[in-house]
Amino acid sequence: MWRDAALVAAKDLRVELRAKIGLNQVVPFALVVLVLFGLALGPSDTELRPAAAGLFWVTVLFAAVLAVQRSFAIEAADEARDGLRLSGLDAGGIFLGKAAAVAVQLIVLELVLALVASLLFDTHLSGAGLLVGTCVAATAGLAAVGTIYGAVAMGTRVRETLLPLLFFPLVAPVLLAATKAWKEALAGTPSHGLGWLSVLGVFALAYLAIGTVAFGPLLEDG
Amino acid sequence: MSLTSPPVSPVGTTGPPRAVEAPTAPGAVAHARRRLRTRADAALFATGLVGVAGVVATVWLGLWVTPPDQFMGNLVRLLYIHPPLAWVMFLAYGVSFLASLLYLWPRTRSARFDRLAGAAAEVGVVFTGLTLVTGSLWGRPTWGQWWTWDPLLTTTALLFVLYLGYLALRRVPGEPEARAKRSAIAALIAFIDVPIVYFSVLWWKSLHQAPSIDLTTRKTYVHGSMAWTLLLGFVSFTVVFAWLVAHRYRLAVLEDREEREGLALALAERRAEAAEAP
Amino acid sequence: MSGYIEAGYIVTLGALGVYAASLVGRERSARRRLPAPRPRATSTPVTGAAAVEAPADGGRSAAPADEGRAATPPGPPGQGG
Repeated sequence: MWRDAALVAAKDLRVELRAKIGLNQVVPFALVVLVLFGLALGPSDTELRPAAAGLFWVTVLFAAVLAVQRSFAIEAADEARDGLRLSGLDAGGIFLGKAAAVAVQLIVLELVLALVASLLFDTHLSGAGLLVGTCVAATAGLAAVGTIYGAVAMGTRVRETLLPLLFFPLVAPVLLAATKAWKEALAGTPSHGLGWLSVLGVFALAYLAIGTVAFGPLLEDG
Repeated sequence: MSLTSPPVSPVGTTGPPRAVEAPTAPGAVAHARRRLRTRADAALFATGLVGVAGVVATVWLGLWVTPPDQFMGNLVRLLYIHPPLAWVMFLAYGVSFLASLLYLWPRTRSARFDRLAGAAAEVGVVFTGLTLVTGSLWGRPTWGQWWTWDPLLTTTALLFVLYLGYLALRRVPGEPEARAKRSAIAALIAFIDVPIVYFSVLWWKSLHQAPSIDLTTRKTYVHGSMAWTLLLGFVSFTVVFAWLVAHRYRLAVLEDREEREGLALALAERRAEAAEAP
Repeated sequence: MSGYIEAGYIVTLGALGVYAASLVGRERSARRRLPAPRPRATSTPVTGAAAVEAPADGGRSAAPADEGRAATPPGPPGQGG
């Protein structure tokens, strides 16, 4: 299963590297959202700085939806989904592979976004360990849930509107916990954020497990 | 869409044949009588009566018979319906979760569970909305705000949107079995999130406020006639829930049939028209 | 203050009542749209399905389980309806 996962992840990332949709569209989209937040809440730093962590993670959530949409859009073309099913790859492996590819793209995005956000909202990025740890754990959870829902909505024509509706309420705890963890890190008290980090970890593990098991039946249906 | 379904269908939906429905008005009364004669229908009707009676009794007790609370005054009366509504909400989503599990488990796979999951979720959403409204109405005179980010209320709000999404997913057209399967998985995912959401929001909120959150005081001062009224509230709303789910389930059966046979019926109508025309 | 209480009760009872009425109404109109006579063009597999269908499962609660049996109205025997 792990080898299949690596195969699928490599394939997805290679597709992304060639198409550069993530780079050309998702990252700029996220940057625009950040700026919009700044416009909505600014220009005074007194309102922006405390909100920085939250705004960052909301933006990541929006970008995650796009990344997942993209991840499944590439399967829709050229009967690729049937190809996946026929390939004999383990369903759990396909899930982990796709989730991993989405996660990698999101992490890269978060790196860029964090730098820009610290600039726009005048926040000093302290507590790097917790910041990074949060990103990893949160992204894992987001990617897992996104990939599951992506598969659920995959065959439908209303995927574009259905996926956000399904995704956002479910990952509300991730938003909560990640924002809190980042706030602690930025405030210089990273030790307080460890509890939130464990929430993120639990969430990620739970949904990675569910996705691995549930992906098979989901793939079967046209 | 196939005009004939396989003779042995695991997704069988029709019950044992019943008396034919008289489509014309004069036969309506006789037809209604015939319908009520079925034992299940009678049971359902009785359930409805019991539910309505219970709710009426709760309202009467809650609004007039019970005394005002020493701390909350008359506001306690809302507590006879708000917790029962919340309880039914959780019950509904729990039923939906279990039904979805049963559907996914190969040995118990049956369209019945899929329909039950959908019915329970829809009724659950109704109760969720009511929980939010009554919670907000309780909060306004108590804390002066229509909305506080109270852990339970916030969780309820998230559940509301979560299950609205689930219902939207159910309405997406597709092969019945595929649709049922992905709805079941979505229900599983959603329900597992419920405790995660609740605890996250609880910690999120409690870190900002002294732990003496009003949530715990809601039940501790309830005693005597108030306790009985509250209990009656729980029971009667649960009965109402059962009645609503049963009817929603029946509706789902009809809708499934309509979906399967709608095309065949339309074709037959066209053919009949064509035959009459010349 | 009391206004909130009455509002709560009214909204709750009203919403539940409206929902219940809508369910019954939708059921009735669905039944009307599905008349007894089956289309002559097709054979009716429904009889077979009904006969083969397993008896009520040990469902969640009594009511839905009952409903599984009595759920659909016009049965196949009503052919010439």
